Amino acid sequence: MNEWPLLIFTIAMQAAIGGIFMLWVYQLRCKDKENLDMFNLFKIPLVIIAGFSLVGLGASFAHLGAPTNAFNTLRHVGSSWMSREILVTGMFIGLTFITAAWAFYRKKVSPWLLLVTALVGFIDVYCMAAIYSNSLISPWNSIHTFMSFYGTTFILGSVLAVALLATALYRQKMELEAKQFTKVALIIAMLGIALQVIGTALLPVTMTEVNMIEASAITELLSGYTGMVTLRWIISILGIALLFFLAVSSYKKSFAALSFIMLLTFVMSEGMSRYVFYVLGS
Amino acid sequence: MTQLGFYIDQARCIGCEACVIACKDKNDNPVGVNFRRVYSFEEGSFTEDKNGSFIQNIQSYFLSISCNHCDEPKCVENCPTTAMFKREEDGVVVVDQDKCVGCRYCEWNCPYGAPQYNEELGKMTKCDLCIDLLEKGERPACEGACPVRAIEIGPIDELRAKYGNVSEVKGLPTASITKPNLVINTHKDASE
Repeated sequence: MNEWPLLIFTIAMQAAIGGIFMLWVYQLRCKDKENLDMFNLFKIPLVIIAGFSLVGLGASFAHLGAPTNAFNTLRHVGSSWMSREILVTGMFIGLTFITAAWAFYRKKVSPWLLLVTALVGFIDVYCMAAIYSNSLISPWNSIHTFMSFYGTTFILGSVLAVALLATALYRQKMELEAKQFTKVALIIAMLGIALQVIGTALLPVTMTEVNMIEASAITELLSGYTGMVTLRWIISILGIALLFFLAVSSYKKSFAALSFIMLLTFVMSEGMSRYVFYVLGS
Repeated sequence: MTQLGFYIDQARCIGCEACVIACKDKNDNPVGVNFRRVYSFEEGSFTEDKNGSFIQNIQSYFLSISCNHCDEPKCVENCPTTAMFKREEDGVVVVDQDKCVGCRYCEWNCPYGAPQYNEELGKMTKCDLCIDLLEKGERPACEGACPVRAIEIGPIDELRAKYGNVSEVKGLPTASITKPNLVINTHKDASE
């Protein structure tokens, strides 16, 4: 596996995009609560999400053999999905920083900026997936790539939001709010998992035939990674169980610690899933 | 524009890889970077018949391939930098080293494995059909080195008029993906 920078890039960006979306979902739910100090709740999540997008940006540079030529990658937007993705990723990172800077400057959160950033982020996930599905690597050449990437976005976004925002709500003694928001996050994470499960089921039937010289069949490529694929799903199930526990139980003593363990669990399972994805192509 | 291309006489190829070495030498490529490659294909097996003797249905053949300077090169279409481009004068696909960012996306978009990443440069490199030699009236390295004269380079229309239109053989991806400028005289075991 030589694609570590791309693995880190896609995971970090999708977590950041999902995270911004979840912040928008939260503010939408709390629209009517005028006495809520949204800025105070959002400042740490916004900084951390911006940090994730910077990690993604750094990893993407590590993938390039000649990073000094990086601006050339915007020359072929008319025909190359990679060019489009780099443009939209740049827009998302820029908007994330503008959203954070606006919040810190005005001491309040702009719902419109959050919404536009999340929408640009979703377009970015589409472009990311299109890079792979338009290539000639047949295991990537399927709707599975889109479902896997959007799945990761929803899963990591919601668990990131639980770890950052729900814990902040607990700290501010807004326990009911925290629990309700964790339930919303659980539903969105389950939606992400469902997308991935359906995508995996569709992979064998939607994949194109082998179209590169000396390419191996997917079954042959996957045979060495059965253990990892199984472990990834076991970890995902454990993560969902933990998220379910956080959403329904009244145990709140170690909410922060448990939510971070859950975040790490999902980062690990999504990382493993992405690892197998890249192994199929290289 | 006169599109240039390759004729590969697969039936003659003995898999000696003189073309690979001549290309590597001419371009001074490091270990692992091969603008031209010879793939070997083998199939069949030995089976024991009821008398206890062994019979076989082994087939094997070689295929020498580099960049096919395709009519619809996916490497050019998908290159984010426009570094990969098709020359107007002869249709040869080349990499502009000043523009290439070394993202390796062209690798995932070529059915023939033509773009080759050079770690030292951090950029993509590939067969340029030895345009420098052609301009001097000399023969490209692979063509000149082949001991059985299985490689010929020239205007693709002339090659097609002389040798036909086959550009797909068993083991090679379909020509419909990129429309390669390639004519092959198929080995008897490689007919689809």
